[in-house]
Amino acid sequence: MTNSYPWAGRLIAAYIAEQASMEMEELPAARMIEGVGIEGDRYATGRGTYSYKPHEDRQCTLIEMETLDALRRDHGLTLEPHESRRNLTTQGVPLNHLVGRHFRVGEVVLFGGRLNVPCKYLDDLLGRPLFNPLLNRSGLNCRIIKGGTIRPGDVIEPV
Amino acid sequence: MKLLMAVEVVARRQVTPRVVQLTLRPAKRAAFPAFRGGAHTILVLPDGKRRLYSLTSDPDRPELWQVAVLREAAGQGGSAWLHEAAAIGTRLLASHPQQGFALAPEAARHILLAGGIGITPFLSMLPELRRAGADYEVHFCARSEAEAPFLPELRAALGDRLRVWIAQRLDLARLLACPAPGTHAYCCGPARMVQGFAEATAHWPAGTTHVEHFAGIPRAEAQQGEAFEVEIASSGAILPVPADRSLLEVLRAAGHGVDAACEYGACGSCVVQVEGGEPLHRDVCLSPAARRRSMTACVSRGRGRLRLAL
Ligand code: FES
Repeated sequence: MTNSYPWAGRLIAAYIAEQASMEMEELPAARMIEGVGIEGDRYATGRGTYSYKPHEDRQCTLIEMETLDALRRDHGLTLEPHESRRNLTTQGVPLNHLVGRHFRVGEVVLFGGRLNVPCKYLDDLLGRPLFNPLLNRSGLNCRIIKGGTIRPGDVIEPV
Repeated sequence: MKLLMAVEVVARRQVTPRVVQLTLRPAKRAAFPAFRGGAHTILVLPDGKRRLYSLTSDPDRPELWQVAVLREAAGQGGSAWLHEAAAIGTRLLASHPQQGFALAPEAARHILLAGGIGITPFLSMLPELRRAGADYEVHFCARSEAEAPFLPELRAALGDRLRVWIAQRLDLARLLACPAPGTHAYCCGPARMVQGFAEATAHWPAGTTHVEHFAGIPRAEAQQGEAFEVEIASSGAILPVPADRSLLEVLRAAGHGVDAACEYGACGSCVVQVEGGEPLHRDVCLSPAARRRSMTACVSRGRGRLRLAL
């Protein structure tokens, strides 16, 4: 596929949660397991909220740092990266345009499955009205096409 | 559900024959999130059971939390498990602090009323009161000295700010007869005591009385309260809920399949939609918005008649 609008971003942080409702833990390095998920994460261990309906597009979830900044700027709402319940926080990556595309995060290759849709569950968990502000920019659910280890600072770019 | 943290039991102390104190440390973070005195946490046991416990440790010591667990005679095993199996080194999950009950910062004087294990939410308030140099008094009711948790520590720390009522009735109506301006009163104890407190303070200015219904109160008592009735929207049936039964029990007995997990107002599994009437919410899990249209069947009750969308 041609890359008509070049972009390059980077990985800000990587998180996992052992099980549903648990605080996310920041990782210095995340081991991405091809076709499965992130080592230690709830969707790799089958202990997530949606684990009863596993879907390959939910192997790992991404959200833009720009979205978190916009929530603060436009709505006065704080959503820290570790609170977002998404695994990878990105910067400079047009996540909404990566549905159906392959892209690289460091040595790993992801495939943009579906846009993430916000969930009321996050409002309850954090006690903040995040549902509406997150509509249409709730991040991207991805498949892990080529595994490997990624670290904050890694370059994210089209394949 | 609320956000959970991994915690580890790092100390245990038998406080009375039926109360064990557990000291918890965060397993994956340096310190616990901040809370104010009176907050509670929801502990999630390995079998998934959820139990609410007041934080009894000083809010200024975020590196550890303490809770005091009353062993319930007729409980469903949650407190028994914490008594018997939660050894040092045991991993549990604990929710972020839930702050329903707290000191009113604007109060000129605080009257704290505790019954038995109901002393626990006050234990984390006392350091705040001391540091603020506040004017306060504590009334502690218990069946016997041996069954009054933390009594020696309280005596030592509070001196004559503490009044102990052992096997002797505290006359709430008299104590609370004349609300002085700026005085706030707080109560945590068995259902009977909370009821007496509500009656004795009915004439107090709005917002000056505070009740903690749950933390540490035996489940059977949490599920009792005022009698009310419900109308089932689909059938028009009227079901009375007597004072000694929960709405959940009554609905199930009438053949309505309502889910439940904690039966303690903590998890939200038993939520039913309310179409009319005035629910008395006693859960600790619903948002204000959710409370406008629904209620927990396990612990919440109603005034008069409620109409349920069942
Ligand atoms: S069963 Fe958990 S809130 Fe009612």
